Amino acid sequence: MTPALAIKNYTLDYLTAAGPVRVLHDISLEIAPGEVLGLVGESGSGKSSLAWALMRHLPDNAREIAGSLHLGDTDLQRLGPRELTKIRGRRLGMVFQDPSTALNPTLSIGRQVTETLIQHRGLSQREANALAIDLLGHVELRDPAAIMRRYPHEISGGEKQRVIIATAFGCRPDVILFDEPTTALDVITGARILKLFARLREETGVAALYISHDLALVTRVADRVAVLKHGRLVEQAPAADIFRAPRHADTQALVQAVPRPEHRLVHDKSGDDVLLAASDIEVHYGRAKLFGHAPPPATRRVGLDVRAGEILGLVGESGSGKSSVARALTGLARFSGTVRFDNRVITGARDMNAAYRRDVQIIFQHPDASLNPRHKVGEILSRPLKLYGGNAAEIPRLLEQVRLPASYAGRWPHQLSGGEKQRVAIARAFAARPKIVICDEITAPLDVSVQAQIIELLLALRAATGTAFLFITHDLNLIRQIAHRIAVMRGGEMVDLLAIEDFDTDHVHPYTSELMAASPVPVG
Amino acid sequence: MSLAWLARRLLLMGYTLIVVSMLVFAITQILPADAAQSLLGENATPEMLAALRARLGLDAPAWQQYLHWAGRVFSGDFGISMRTSQPVGPDMLTALSRSLLLAVSSILVTLLVAVPLGVVAALRHGRLTDAGVSLIAYLGVSLPEFVTATLLALLLADTLHWLPATGYVSLLEDFGDGIRHLALPVLTISMILIAHVMRMMRSETLDVLKSDYIRAARLKGLPERTVLFRHALRNAMLPVVTIIALDVGYLLGGIIVIEEIFAIPGIGRALMVAITTRDLPSIQAGALIMAATYAITNTLADMAYALLDRRIRYD
Repeated sequence: MTPALAIKNYTLDYLTAAGPVRVLHDISLEIAPGEVLGLVGESGSGKSSLAWALMRHLPDNAREIAGSLHLGDTDLQRLGPRELTKIRGRRLGMVFQDPSTALNPTLSIGRQVTETLIQHRGLSQREANALAIDLLGHVELRDPAAIMRRYPHEISGGEKQRVIIATAFGCRPDVILFDEPTTALDVITGARILKLFARLREETGVAALYISHDLALVTRVADRVAVLKHGRLVEQAPAADIFRAPRHADTQALVQAVPRPEHRLVHDKSGDDVLLAASDIEVHYGRAKLFGHAPPPATRRVGLDVRAGEILGLVGESGSGKSSVARALTGLARFSGTVRFDNRVITGARDMNAAYRRDVQIIFQHPDASLNPRHKVGEILSRPLKLYGGNAAEIPRLLEQVRLPASYAGRWPHQLSGGEKQRVAIARAFAARPKIVICDEITAPLDVSVQAQIIELLLALRAATGTAFLFITHDLNLIRQIAHRIAVMRGGEMVDLLAIEDFDTDHVHPYTSELMAASPVPVG
Repeated sequence: MSLAWLARRLLLMGYTLIVVSMLVFAITQILPADAAQSLLGENATPEMLAALRARLGLDAPAWQQYLHWAGRVFSGDFGISMRTSQPVGPDMLTALSRSLLLAVSSILVTLLVAVPLGVVAALRHGRLTDAGVSLIAYLGVSLPEFVTATLLALLLADTLHWLPATGYVSLLEDFGDGIRHLALPVLTISMILIAHVMRMMRSETLDVLKSDYIRAARLKGLPERTVLFRHALRNAMLPVVTIIALDVGYLLGGIIVIEEIFAIPGIGRALMVAITTRDLPSIQAGALIMAATYAITNTLADMAYALLDRRIRYD
């Protein structure tokens, strides 16, 4: 039988100022009709390039060196622009990583679903409307007729991804490419999207290429898994086997890096002294205006305390208010309530003196946004040193502490990889010799293997300095590896605050067990 | 758009107009130590001063003067011109209608030329067409309007005799001749506006074409034409609406120069005459009408923006 999708000896280069760079080496993959192939790799492994090559949407500097790409009997590389519009969306669909940017903000949902149906299936607007309502209902959207009239900003991220999935399935394509479809969503929403994918796949028998950096996730949705590393295919195996018996060293490393709660990385106990105690924290964004009331607070009377040397985990979906707590504790957001620290009572940002700001440091999620692109690494690190009585001579020591070569002081942020940038941000936080470091989703944009290295680094720093951490994350499996206590937030309220020993299904809030169910522990 | 949003916009506009009217009144009538003296000049006799003070109501407290004045103004009565002894309102409105005709035609011409040019430049990004279009636009914006006006008049009126050099003919009286008289000033103003709008359109189109939703639209298999007209243009047009509204501000000020050069009896000229002859009611009426025009244009632009982009409505 002809495979639904066949990639044969495919080799791809990107032309750069420094000469051609090979991004895909001699890749051969086949997907049988109705099969789901998972494609796993870190960022930069070439997995997205392969998707763009299949969609015939490569950047101008891409050069296809060798090999062939076939969709059924169709040679994708030979298609002209006109034939391409008959393949894309019609026989080869795609679901994108970030649903919030993949929909046009100025067109109604109905318009964006029906336009492909009209284009590819030759329906009239009326027929397309009826079919679209049907499709939206099929992806479990409530009141599809109302959704049709809405605009992207009026529905949630999960709903947007359902709309995109409905659009992709709408023309009954032979193959659908899924490019990290749950990465931009929170855990529970992502789990529901995966469930939907499994059901639709069962019903339609569509073949799919499912791209992700998350090996554990891919093994749950795919029949077979292919592992890509630096543009080379290192292993292909049935999904059931790859986690239990990874053959290749690179696959083993990927498996190792997946966080497992039963594999504790922290073995000591925290101190008993309370270092920082926050109570009744309500964060306010925006004020009452001439016309209209002030928005409700982002958090409702949240209280927590961080003990000396403790790692306190703070978990929740996006929008649960966990980052707002971090912003309040660092004086970045207006809040009511009190913070006790070092025998001082703080009721607002103006009470936070230099000593407090030195002792409580924060590391942000996106180092790209938190490192000044016009400052070299050395300058970035010298600021806190100057402010808090350090010495520029300490910069090499700081860099060494985060395992970067001292020569990096002379580099610009854009010359570093994502993981290296986050190390610089960590070094900057530790330059002030803080007592507490707040980590706000600092590993969220990183690959699992880089995440594992960053976590290991933080634990080493903790062992050396005794610093306490408030570690904010949406990754329950990760935080269960390292935290002494875990707080869970939902809709601005704290629903759980438990010691790690009590963190099991018998003790947790129903919402927390829902979270646990949505991030299953990998088997094997 | 929601009614509440519209009501709020209109309320804000009314508020703006009231504040402007207070400012205009304060500057023209209250702040001068003696408005009557400054109006009549050095040679005024005490009798003339007293008569004028009584006529202007200068003896009453400031807030009473304002309320009295504002009451009349907002019911459409701007008073009697000191120069012509005719009611100010109708004259000013006639002048405004001529200026508006000039402004609206200029904006229409600008949109018709600049939007397609900007899109073409973006689509041919980095190629000769792009460079050529940009060069012409820069040329248009780098010359002051009076130079452009003179050059165009020299070429099209004096040398080629295609168009009349100056003057104004009402479109209602003689449509063809009216258009011919309008052509040169409209061309001059458009030269400058086209450069603004075209450059904005070009860079916005470039940005939009790089966006994820355009990529998504292409990968859904939509033909390039649909991608461009349905998905890209609407989003790229949004900032242009704002630019146009801001340019109306420039037009109201800059139009004075154009009206002088081409001898068009518009609001700019009327205001100039009023200021040089110290015709207080005309000055007040002219300033207020200009401010009102500006406020109304901006509200209209906001409404157009809200129609194009549904996200605005709930802000």
